[in-house]
Parts: sequence; structure tokens; C-alpha cells
Amino acid sequence: MHIIALTILRYESTLKIQGYRLWTIKSLCPREEREKSKVPGFKYEVCIGLTSARAAEILARDGPNALTPPKSTPEIIKFLKQMVGGFSILLWVGALLCWIAFGIQVAQGVASAFDNLYLGVVLALVVILTGIFAYYQEAKSTNIMASFSKMIPQQALVIRDGEKREVSAEQLVVGDMVEIKGGDRIPADIRLIFAQGCKVDNSSLTGESEPQSRSCDFTHENPLETKNIAFYSTTCLEGTATGMVINTGDQTIIGRIASLASGVGNEKTPIAIEIEHFVHIVAGVAVSIGVLFFIIAVSMKYKVLDSIIFLIGIIVANVPEGLLATVTVSLSLTAKRMAKKNCLVKNLEAVETLGSTSIICSDKTGTLTQNRMTVAHLWFDDQIYSADTSEEQTTQSFDQSSQSWAALSKVVTLCNRAEFKPGQENVPIMKRVVVGDASETALLKFAEVILGDVMGIRKRNRKLAEIPFNSTNKFQLSIHETEDPNDKRFLMVMKGAPERILERCSTIMINGEEQPLDRERAEAFQTAYMELGGLGERVLGFCHLYLPEDEFPDTYPFDTDSMNFPTSNLCFVGLLSMIDPPRSTVPDAVSKCRSAGIKVIMVTGDHPITAKAIAKSVGIISANSETVEDIAKRLNVPVEQVNKEDARAAVINGMELKDMTTEQLDEILINHSEIVFARTSPQQKLIIVEGCQRQDAVVAVTGDGVNDSPALKKADIGIAMGIAGSDAAKNAADMILLDDNFASIVTGVEEGRLIFDNLKKTIAYTLTKNIAELCPFLIYIIASVPLPIGTITILFIDLGTDIIPSVALAYEKAESDIMNRRPRHKKKDRLVNEQLAVYSYLQIGIIQSIGAFLAYFTVYAEQGWLPNTLLGLRVNWEDDYYNDIEDSYGQEWTRYQRTYLQWTGYTAFFVSITIQQVADLIIRKTRRNSIFQQGLLRNKVIWVGIVSQIAIALILSYGLGSVTALNFTPLRVQYWFVAMPYAILIWVYDEIRKLFIRQYPGSWWDKNMYY
Amino acid sequence: MARGKAKEGDGNWKKFIWNSEKKEFLGRTGGSWFKILLFYLIFYGCLAGIFIGTIQVMLLTISEFEPKYQDRVAPPGLTVIPRVLKTEISFSIADAKSYQEYVAGLNKFLKDYDPDQQTSDMVFDNCAEKPEDYMNRGEFSNVQGQKKVCRFKRDWLENCSGILDPSYGYKDGKPCVVIKLNRVLGFKPKPPLNDSLPPEMMGKYNPYVLPVHCFAKKEEDVDKIGTIEYYGMAGYAGFPLQYYPYYGKLLQPKYLQPLLAVQFTNLTYDTEVRVECKVYGENIGYSDKDRFQGRFEVKFDIKSS
Repeated sequence: MHIIALTILRYESTLKIQGYRLWTIKSLCPREEREKSKVPGFKYEVCIGLTSARAAEILARDGPNALTPPKSTPEIIKFLKQMVGGFSILLWVGALLCWIAFGIQVAQGVASAFDNLYLGVVLALVVILTGIFAYYQEAKSTNIMASFSKMIPQQALVIRDGEKREVSAEQLVVGDMVEIKGGDRIPADIRLIFAQGCKVDNSSLTGESEPQSRSCDFTHENPLETKNIAFYSTTCLEGTATGMVINTGDQTIIGRIASLASGVGNEKTPIAIEIEHFVHIVAGVAVSIGVLFFIIAVSMKYKVLDSIIFLIGIIVANVPEGLLATVTVSLSLTAKRMAKKNCLVKNLEAVETLGSTSIICSDKTGTLTQNRMTVAHLWFDDQIYSADTSEEQTTQSFDQSSQSWAALSKVVTLCNRAEFKPGQENVPIMKRVVVGDASETALLKFAEVILGDVMGIRKRNRKLAEIPFNSTNKFQLSIHETEDPNDKRFLMVMKGAPERILERCSTIMINGEEQPLDRERAEAFQTAYMELGGLGERVLGFCHLYLPEDEFPDTYPFDTDSMNFPTSNLCFVGLLSMIDPPRSTVPDAVSKCRSAGIKVIMVTGDHPITAKAIAKSVGIISANSETVEDIAKRLNVPVEQVNKEDARAAVINGMELKDMTTEQLDEILINHSEIVFARTSPQQKLIIVEGCQRQDAVVAVTGDGVNDSPALKKADIGIAMGIAGSDAAKNAADMILLDDNFASIVTGVEEGRLIFDNLKKTIAYTLTKNIAELCPFLIYIIASVPLPIGTITILFIDLGTDIIPSVALAYEKAESDIMNRRPRHKKKDRLVNEQLAVYSYLQIGIIQSIGAFLAYFTVYAEQGWLPNTLLGLRVNWEDDYYNDIEDSYGQEWTRYQRTYLQWTGYTAFFVSITIQQVADLIIRKTRRNSIFQQGLLRNKVIWVGIVSQIAIALILSYGLGSVTALNFTPLRVQYWFVAMPYAILIWVYDEIRKLFIRQYPGSWWDKNMYY
Repeated sequence: MARGKAKEGDGNWKKFIWNSEKKEFLGRTGGSWFKILLFYLIFYGCLAGIFIGTIQVMLLTISEFEPKYQDRVAPPGLTVIPRVLKTEISFSIADAKSYQEYVAGLNKFLKDYDPDQQTSDMVFDNCAEKPEDYMNRGEFSNVQGQKKVCRFKRDWLENCSGILDPSYGYKDGKPCVVIKLNRVLGFKPKPPLNDSLPPEMMGKYNPYVLPVHCFAKKEEDVDKIGTIEYYGMAGYAGFPLQYYPYYGKLLQPKYLQPLLAVQFTNLTYDTEVRVECKVYGENIGYSDKDRFQGRFEVKFDIKSS
């Protein structure tokens, strides 16, 4: 049993910072839970941990040790929201009016009253079904997330009732004694009371990527800084520790950050705003035309009830019932496409947000870089060589003929404790798993690439003694036999901080020859060291010494504690510098962002020099840009005298940021186009994001740590890393990068922009036919002709023939290089702008209407009712007891014969709209280019849409023509072609429009006709 | 913050309607409005032209003498005069006002059948006064000018002609209705085969007459319906074939369709009696959906006091 002496009670100070509850050990370990130490001669009491009963009590009081998931809206509320959102309200009103009309008509004994009941039911069904559909879509995308938040149940080793037992981490309570060891995830916030070589990785919490050592020492007032607290959800890298649980669940630091994140309001996504804007426009048009014609109808002496029925028709005709579902489908199609490109979108609307992004605040490590140290430069023979740092390196191409390199490579190979995990012979070197720290891993892989079989070399040069790296020595050393059987000397190899290594050297190897290390040589070393350091690289020095055979015979007992061998007057061999190199795809992606008008800001916890070096190498700071400091250095003037506007680039230190006012930060964000924030704390990320948003930018933020989650939430689109990201970050984000690669964001941006353009096309397509559906009602009211198209028929267009084609537009390829234009302005570049609405409604829509009216008049004329007889006919036409109305030829028609003709008219009108929508679909493929430039056949889905459209129309007319309730009739074949000339007119007119737009950019035509 | 924004929004809204700085009304200057309105004037002018043009082209393909298709107008409907709301003839014998509407309807309809309307020999043909076969009058065109039509004498309707009894029997509680077959261009109704008729009609069979028969719609009304008198040409309860085919409004503007008057002489009063009249023919159809095709229904509700 582990005995924890109560000596620790001397760290009694209770820390109270920002309400974080820190228990005193004394209060956690009450008298009844202590007992006299059984160890002889040990006079203190020991804490034996909680009893099970007490633990259960506390568990009941505090609740389980788990983060409460972010408050999610109850499913039923979500569902109801879908039922009343968008156009639903308008349709509900329509349905209600229908039922009122039905009630009145039933009371009056009107024979056709049930039509209104059915219509009301259909409208309600439409709302409910589209609501269910939208809800299902949302639920589906939320489910993607559910898999992430599902955590493997964690076990913790806890001391209860005086004995160690494994319990689920959720069962932990304040006061529990837990033991942790290397590799464990810390199960709660723990105050350490015993620690041995314990190191934790706090990166997910604080962003510090270096392992942090943990001890029992209380070192700081701030719980985040003090060494004796280990935090929930961080990992213990090595060592062991015992501690007392001081906070569980939501009370932990992580829990508090998580709740902070959920406190940051979720802003409406740009596309949601756009769609709302669009809904407002359409609803506004619907309501105002509806009310206007209601008044007109009433003042034309129509009965109020009839006027209400007209109002319903106008609403139904005006509302694109299927559009919101179409938008959802288009977005989810894009989301699927993006998922294939490693962007997993949690929130469908985020698909488009990415497209309108104007600033990306990117992490460095892992996102821009490969997140592994790699040898970047070498210095030997007084010369700097560069090494290949790409992901897939198989060879190195620098000059390897020098004897110095041979010596250096030997040091690199031997003075290294890292090893490949066995059984990876077939894995590419760069992908093999290594046991060892980052630098050693880099060196091992580097050596393996060039020399091959490092393990074999090490075996042949048997290691006799070794001093591992520690922070006081700042070097690592080992002594080996040589592989040359004739050479009985021992080889001592050493690596470490270059200046420390140099101190120990008296000679330096140049071209394989040992030469005295004179001033000149030392200066050359300094220059090289500075240069490599200036590149932001971690530099290591290497030296060796062949121990003379006579002093160190075969049997010499090397003792690393007493260091019974020389550690000075060594021979300096060379320098190697390492960096976490940028991913090879990143520079290209950054330049794409730049040409797409997106500002990339690097936000990193790293050192400014490293950050700047990486920023330069990936192009975040372009080659010829200078910071204020660079200019000052070049002109040799103090920094203050430099005109800040001359500097395009800026590297801001976290410390500087801390002292900045909002205005100063704004100034920096406005004045500099290339910005790097270095040494920033994760909390500062939030400040930077807010600063960017003040510039009206749509900000994308990448992050992986728990502490990033407020920034991710705050951002217009938060992007979490799929591999390195913590669950909290993934929860807060809108999108997850499955490969942690910055370049994937850029493909996401492209998709987002494309879907915005394509949604424009979809909406333009959908709105057009609304006029063709609305005009019949207006003409019906004003000219009193038999009704050209019924409300049910309209629904069959909106929810039948038009659905697949409008989704098909989502598959349209971009017209031009969408990555060569600026991101859209949130407030100026609307999804539905005036031009789009006007062109669709007042031009194409009108052409379509008259095309359909031609079909309507043709049907009536050919059946005996010439256009002039139709005018003013409505009242008699609809009289149920007038069964001998004369047509133009003197023939007499019964009511039902007229009704059937009316349905034929509906069908012809419907078919004509469908045929013209085919033309509309084709013209909507492009907004500027000719259809022939875009390729008529390139988007196959469009053709699927066209075929489906016609097939549905055929089925409705010929298949369901006998179902009375649907008001369709089997149409004579030639009526399908009546509107064809108008379909062609639509196409030709739109080609002319596009031609003028291309020919005269900036002209009156371009301004008014381009949407 | 929000309020400030709202105010700003209001300002923008007003500014949008009339921006005095730029002299813009609804976001456009006068010149801009002129241009856009001119554009739409031309645009809609062209569209109107195209529309009228296409309508004219369509009308060119249609003959003015006969409709291109008669998909639905045949088989014809059977109509009752007077035209009554909800097919209910309801009146009180004592109250002349209560049946005035029906009498007026009949008067108005039968006006065209007055002898003084049928004087011109240029228009009217001297058809036989007994049922005969169809009278074909050539092509549906005006090459031979207008076509003649057969006379139909109002007095053939006897008691229901309105000549003897201007109230058409209503004042005696013996209401008349006049039945006509809806006009359909070129339609030649075919009398039924002898054996397909209900037995009670067999007696008056004539191969040139399209017979009509009225009966109680419901079984329980059979006793209430009483005697039914039919007045038609030569005493036949039906439509003689020489009036067919009809050549249309342009070629036969004065066309008189054959009529059949039906008088219910012994209806039970103070109760609803439902009567259905049906015309029989090989090419006459009936439909559940169209209750006026080849038949009609009338509900009598005569109050004795």
C-alpha cells in the first residue's frame, strides 16, 4: 500500500483564483481518514483515502466527474423551430385560410368546399414534411459529431477504503486519492502529494507544447502555473504521481473553459443571414401582392370569401415551397464533397461560411507545419548545406563525399537514444514510429535516410557508456567501440547546445582533417550558428574524440558518474539544425488564399523567430515584405522612427499584445497585410479573433487545444484539428480538418464559394417560375378568365418537377477561377440581390408566364373557347348549375365538361412551365459565360434533372391524369410543344444578356443585368 | 447598441426612399429611373408583340366554323329549362310570385321559338313535321353561305308552350319543364337500339327519335310522381333527328334545337319529389362525375297552400 505522509500538510495555503476551488489537504483528508503510520519510526499520520461510503456521499453531492455536455436544445424544440422557420409561417397562414374558407363554404353548402379542405391539408403536409426533412438533415450532421464526443470510458486507480482499486473516472470525487503513471490521462484536477519524474503534456490546455514537469511543490499562486496541480484531460507523459482530487467535472479548469466556450454566443452564419434576407424578400413580395390583390378583389365586388381564396393562391404561388429543402440538400452535398477532401462539416451552413471567409487565423504547429522535427540544415567544412524537409523524403542530395560528413554522420547515428519500434521494415522511414524525443527522432530518421540501417551501425559500434541529455549539462554523450576491428580505440561522441559543445572543443574537422580551433574558425562557427538560429531552427552541435588506445584499453571501466574520461579538448565536427518544417502543400495553399483575397494570420505560441521563419517559408510573410523591425535594421534607425505603413508584415509578440488597446490592435490588423502573432497565449486568440471581426471580416480560426474552444466558438467558422484536436475543440468547432492540413481549408474555401454561386443559380431558377405561377391568379382576378392553374398544380411544380433540377445546379462547375476573386463582402454581396430578383421576376418570369398563357389560350381555343370569349367568363364558368354555357361555336357545356377543360388548362399551363423551366435550368448554369463556354453536357446531373422533370410531368399527366383530386388530365401531345418557342426565346435572350455583359463590362447593362 | 443600430437602420430606410444628397429615389436617380423604365417599356413592348403574334399564329390554325377538338363537349349534356338554383323547383300554388322566376325563365327561353321569329324562308327550312333522318348540310365552311335550319314550332309543346297557359301549369300545381340536348357541333345522336330501352318506353319507339324518359329518382318517390306528360314534335317524347347535326353559331345563327316539354300533372304536394330525366342513345353517355351528361335531376317541392 502506498503511504502518503501528511508532511505535505505544510503546503496549506488555499489558492483562490478566479473562483477556482482549491481544497486544503487537511480538509480533504479529515481526521477519520488518517491513521498512524505503520512504518516503524515514521511518526506522521497517513491519509488512507476515502471510504466507499463517504465517496458515495460526495458523489451524490457533486455529481459524476464528467463534463456536462453543452446545453443542447431539446429535440422537440428543434423540430418545432423547423415547423415555423422560413416560409412555414406563411404556409400555415395559407392552410388556416383554407380551413376557414372550407368552414364557411360548408356552411353555405358549396359543392367544391372540400377542395379547400384538401388544399389546407396539403399545405400543412408540405410544411410538416419540409420541416421533418430539414430536421432530419440537421440531426444527421449533428450525428457526425456524436461519434467524436463519445469518449472511451476511462479508468482511474484510486485508493478507497485503504486499498487500491480501479474505478471508472466518472466515479471520482473530491478527496479521492488517485495514482497516475506515464501514459495515463489525468482523470480529474489533482493536487499532487507525491511525484516522481512526473511530466505532463498541458498543450491541450495552455498551448505549451513542451512537457511540463510536475512535483509536490507549490510554486505559484496561479493554479495554471503552479507545479503541484495536474489537470483533468491532460496526459501524464512519464513518471508516476499520487494526488488528491480537488475538483471534478465542470469544476475542473477544463470544465470551466468548456462552459466559457458555451457562453460565447453562436453567431448566425452568413448563409443563414442570406437565407433570412431572401425569405424576407419573398415573403414581403407574397404578402404585399396578396394584400394588394385582396383589396383589388374586394373593391372589384368579389365576395370576401373568394378574395380570401385568391389570397391563398397568391401566397402558394409566391412561396417557393421546395427551395429551403433544396438549399439544405445542396449544402449537404457540398458537405459530403468536402468531407471527402478532409473537411468534415458539423454545421451545414458552415459550408458556405468558409467560402466567404476573409481572414484565416491559423495555428502553426501541425496545421502549417508537419508537426515533427526534421533536419533542415547542416554545417560542416565551413559550409551550410540544406537538407530536404518534405514529407516524403527518401534521399538527401547535399554533398556527402567529404570525410567530415562521414564523421558527422557517425556522431549523429551513435549519439542518439531514439529507436524505431520493431516490425516496421516495410513502412516508409518518415512514417515509422520512433521511441524518443522529437530532436532525436529527427536525427534518427535523417541518418536512416542517408545511411540506412542505423540500428545495424549501432550494433556494430557497441555502446559502452552513455550520459543522457539533461538540462544542467546540456549535452549528451556516449562511448562506443568502433566497427573497424583493427582500430582498438574507443570513440566518444557528443552532441548538445552548440556553444556548450564548442567550449569543450579544441580542434575542428575541416575536410576530414582535424585543425586547430582558432579565432577565425570560431567566428565562422558563430556566423553559421547565428544564421541557422536566425532561421528559427533548433541548432545542435556535434563533436567526437577517439580515445587513445593506450590510456583506454579494452577493459577500461567507463563510469558515467565520475566521468573517468576526457570531456574537453574534443574535435568539433559540425552543426545540424532542425525545424518543424512546413507541410509541402501549405505554401501553395497560402498563395491561393492570397490570390483569393484571404488574409492568413499566423497565431502561435512559438518563439517569434521560429514563427517568422515558418511564416516566410510558407508565404504568410512574402519574400519581399519587411516588418517594422526589418526596416529599422536596414535603415539603421530606431524602430520608433520607421513609418509603420511602410511595413507590410508584422510580427507581434504576445507580450506586446497584452499591453495593446483595442485601437492599437485594430490599427495593426488594418495596416499590415501579413501578420504573425507569436508567443500568444490561447486566451489572446479570442482577442485577435474579435479584433478581426471588428473589421467586418468573416474569420476562420483553427485550433486544437481545449483553450482554443472559446476562440473557435467566437470565430465565424471554427476549424478543429481532427488528429491533434481535443474533444472540446472539436465540440466548439463548426468544421473538423481530418488531416490537420491547412491546404484542406483552401479546398474548403473553394467549395464554399462555389456553393454560394450555385445557390444563387438555384434561387434564380426557383424564383423565376413563381411569376409564372402568380400571373394566372392576377389575370384570373382582373380579367375574370377561367383559372389557368390550380393551387395543387403549383405545389406539384414547386415540390415535384423543380426539386431535382434545382439540386442539380449544386453540381455546376465554377464559371471562372473563383479563387482569383476577393471574398464576398458580408453586407454588399448578397445571395439574392436586386438584379437577381428583378431579372428572375420581371424578365424571365414574365416571358415564362406569357409562354404558359399561350398554351392556356391554345388549349381553350382549340377546344372551342376563343380568347375573347374567355374574358369576363369567370362567374358563369364557375356556376355549378349553369350547364349549358355557349362557347365560341355555339356549343353548350355542362359544368363538369368545363371543369375538365379547366384541368386540361392547368395541365397545359403546368407542362408549359415545366418545359420553360428546362430552358431556365440551362440558362442558370452560368451567370456570365455562354452556356457553350461552360459546356452544355459537362454537368450530367443537370440532364438527370431535366429528364426527371419531364418524366414527373409525364407521369402526372398520363399516369395520374385520372385521379380527380390532383386536377391533371392526359394532355394532347402537341400541347407539350406550345411553349417551346418561348423556351427557346428564354435561352436566346439570356445568351444575349450574357454576351452584352461580357462585351461591355461595367456598362449600364452589366450593372443592371448581372446577378 | 441594438437601439443605436435600429436607429441607423431607420435612417437608411428613409434615405433609401429619398436620398436628398444623391437625389435618389428608391436607390436610383431620375436619369437612372428613366433608363430602366425605358428599358422595361421596350422589353415589355417586344414581349407583348411576340405574345400577340404567337396568339395570332395559333388562331390562324383554328377554323372559325368548327372547333379543332371536341374532347369533352360530347357526349352532350341534357339541360332543363327553367335553369334553377340547386336543381330545385320549389313554389307554392297560391303564391304567383313564388313561381314567377320559373315562368320568366321559360318565357325567355321559348321566345326564340315564337312563330314570328321563324318567318324567314331564307333561314328556315321546311323540314317535315314528323321525325326524320339527319339533315346533312355539307361542309363546315361558308362556301355556300349560311346554312338553313329546321323550324320548331312552339305550339308543339301544347300545354307547356305557354300559349294556352302563360303560367306553364304552375298555377295549377302541374309544373312544366322544357328539356333540351346541349348543342354540340356536328354531333349526330344515335337513337338506341329497340331492345335496350326500358319497357315502358318501347311503345312509342321511332327510329328517328332520340327518346327521353323521366322517372322517380328514388324508389319511395315512385308513387308520388304521378302522371308525366311529354309534349314534343308529333307527340314523340324525344328529339327528332332532322335537327342534327348542328353547324355552329356562324353557319346557323338562328338554329333551334329540338325541345321536349315535360309536365308533371299529378305530383304529390308538400313533399320533396326527386325526378330524373334521361335521354337514351347509342352515343349518349352518362357519368358519375358529370351528373348533367345525358341526364339531369330535378327536385320538386310544391306547397299546396
